[in-house]
Amino acid sequence: MRARRKLFGHSDPYDTAGTEELFLTAARENCAYAYSHCPEYKTILDAEGFSPERLQSIDNLADLPFLPTALLKRRRMLSMSRRRLPVVVTSSGTSGNASEIGFSFGDLWAGLKMVLRVCRQRHLISPKPCHYVVFGYQPNRKNRTGASKTAFGVTLFTPALSRTYALRWKDGNYVLDLKAVQEAIVRHSRSRFPLRFMGFPAYAWFLMKQMDEQGIHVQLPKGSKLMLGGGWKQFYTEEVDKPVFYALARKVLGLEETDIIEFYGAVEHPVLYCDCEQHHFHVPIYSRVLIRDVRTLKPVQNGTPGLVNLITPMVCATPLLSVMTDDLGVLHEGCACGRRSPYLEILGRVGLQDVKTCAAGAAELLNRTEVSL
Amino acid sequence: MILANGKRFDSSMQDSILEGLEARLNETLAKPAPKPETVIAAIDALGRRAAEGAFDEQIAALQIDGAEQYKELAARLLRRDYLEFKVRTELGQDFCADSVTEPPAGLVKLRVLTRPLGVLLHIAAGNADGLPAFSVAEGLVTGNINLLKLPQADNGLSLAIIEALLEIEPSLSDYIYVFDTPSTDLAAIKEMANLSDGVVVWGGETAVAAVRRFAHPGTKLIEWGHRLSFAYLSGNIAEEELEALAEHIVTTRQLLCSSCQVIYLDTADMGQIRSFCDLFYPMLEAAALRHQPQTIGAVAALTLRSRTDRLEALLDPKTARPWSSPLCSLIPKEDSVLELSPMFGNVFVKPLAREQLLPVLRQKKQYLQTAGLGCNPEDREALTQLLVRAGVTRVTFPGSMSASLPGEAHDGEYPLRRYLSTVNVELKDSWDSEF
Repeated sequence: MRARRKLFGHSDPYDTAGTEELFLTAARENCAYAYSHCPEYKTILDAEGFSPERLQSIDNLADLPFLPTALLKRRRMLSMSRRRLPVVVTSSGTSGNASEIGFSFGDLWAGLKMVLRVCRQRHLISPKPCHYVVFGYQPNRKNRTGASKTAFGVTLFTPALSRTYALRWKDGNYVLDLKAVQEAIVRHSRSRFPLRFMGFPAYAWFLMKQMDEQGIHVQLPKGSKLMLGGGWKQFYTEEVDKPVFYALARKVLGLEETDIIEFYGAVEHPVLYCDCEQHHFHVPIYSRVLIRDVRTLKPVQNGTPGLVNLITPMVCATPLLSVMTDDLGVLHEGCACGRRSPYLEILGRVGLQDVKTCAAGAAELLNRTEVSL
Repeated sequence: MILANGKRFDSSMQDSILEGLEARLNETLAKPAPKPETVIAAIDALGRRAAEGAFDEQIAALQIDGAEQYKELAARLLRRDYLEFKVRTELGQDFCADSVTEPPAGLVKLRVLTRPLGVLLHIAAGNADGLPAFSVAEGLVTGNINLLKLPQADNGLSLAIIEALLEIEPSLSDYIYVFDTPSTDLAAIKEMANLSDGVVVWGGETAVAAVRRFAHPGTKLIEWGHRLSFAYLSGNIAEEELEALAEHIVTTRQLLCSSCQVIYLDTADMGQIRSFCDLFYPMLEAAALRHQPQTIGAVAALTLRSRTDRLEALLDPKTARPWSSPLCSLIPKEDSVLELSPMFGNVFVKPLAREQLLPVLRQKKQYLQTAGLGCNPEDREALTQLLVRAGVTRVTFPGSMSASLPGEAHDGEYPLRRYLSTVNVELKDSWDSEF
């Protein structure tokens, strides 16, 4: 995995053009490893008539068979013995149909380097201590979801003075305790140290709205940040317009738009997408994105919407080299922030977002959103 | 966008509008309610506008398959003769005329007035386009003041319809208020509920449960919850009838309360289930091919599902399912439970011998709605009665499970009746005559 090491050690996380060769080699190494260690992956590649050596140019990535995330949810696939894996996370589906993704030490090391490089771009890594408010799950042995791990991981970007969780583990259950969070915010607003938030946008929105209604407006210390991840359509059917969200954050918490940072990712594609100052998700060098035609599955040109195929050589323990999400998206070029890599816009879930139903239980089934963080 | 007294206001005005609302409502309540005739004439004129294409732009923006049929149906439901028929069926002739009871000799007579409940809050889920306006129309015909909380998914169609109605009949302006309050703004919704005599809620269990939590125990709740429907087939069924069932399954995409989720066969023999699948699958597939989805999201979902199924079958040949394609499938199961299918042309086929019908269906009594009954003519009455005793509220032929049947009740009730109250007034003369 030498190429992977080099790729994840590359200094500019958005130098797509300068890392094509490196990415291709890392992908080939990854593909060969999965092919020889994961029998299911071999079966699929053989059936599609593809072998790892066929990855000779970056264009060949389009021919590489991809695994739909739905398949990973139905079938557990690993390239290493489960006992050897330090971390196994699940996508937080409640239906029992969650995917289980294993990570080796090497995978985690690559991931750590990636997180540091990406987050440094938005000045998130700092030696200055912070208080943390997590709009998510308090870590718990029983909770192996990627969301809870990511939310905790983010609190390691700077030394943490305190951590307050919106979803607290109490008597064997998670309970939503926004009151404690609100009190922590008011308390920390008087602190010398910045306050950082991390978690689901829906909770942040709900809390800010509640504070606004109660007339509680604070000015958070300089350097405070609001970090969001987990999609905008989470617990409520409400989708908030982002400008409205930013305006409320300024009014209630005294945060500027540049202090609000959003992440995108999926358990099945654990590359960290961090938005730029224009709130665009640029594709980092650890990833290549192909948008595929919804009928033919052939790659389409930038600017055309289609199914989102995410490719990364980050993980060896699970065959995640090329996965197909159930998102519709479009890849754009050219952004005022100056980063040269294209940026990904997620348009929504396939199929079901326009569905209206009155069959009992159907709305719940169709809206079962998974935390993709 | 908020609509109050016939004028549009920005959503940010919500709190100040709510603040003055009680006084406005009281002013309106002090006046006589609009006559059903006024409302019916206005809706009839509205229906003509719709038929002439007044809302085509909004309907096109919905990107729904079958928009034309939808428009035709709406135009039919909004016609005067249909509305008069609906009112007559649900409320009887001259429901708004006062009457006097005719008790046995020696008992006092009472005046009987049928009056609107007063103020109705409609919490409309986004489960059918234009439904919010329909709910308000029912409230208006019965003379109520209507507060409408729009569903998040509303694209402006409901507001356009209501504004057109007010343009036709400005005197109804004080009887309709529309709010685009998000579902998360519980405080505002609670305030609206507090101002109301009845809360009409359309939606799934989550929505209904939420309303039950925040509404005052004394407020009348009119809940139009989500339901499950099924086809029940017994004996020899004509091919045309099965083809009509296939057409129903595919065209409703199994998303409606009245859509077929399970096809039950009157048997306990799985062999018969399998031979039925052999017979029925080609019909289902033919219907699915005739009505392929067009929206990019639905096409993508099918492509993805087809790919996932193929890969899974590679890894585990046992998962390969007969009677299945990306467009549709029949899923035979040995149990008899009434449950939601995977929808979109994927339907369960289960055994349910008639002896077991009542106990099995009773387990889902909260959800029962339509049974599409296909059977030998001599069995029809007995099976209908059995289904009715089990708690089904609609019995149709298999192909017309989701047809809009003129004058039908809604989930076992006439909606208009629920928006009215019967008021008794003591008559001085009759009291005197008693003593």
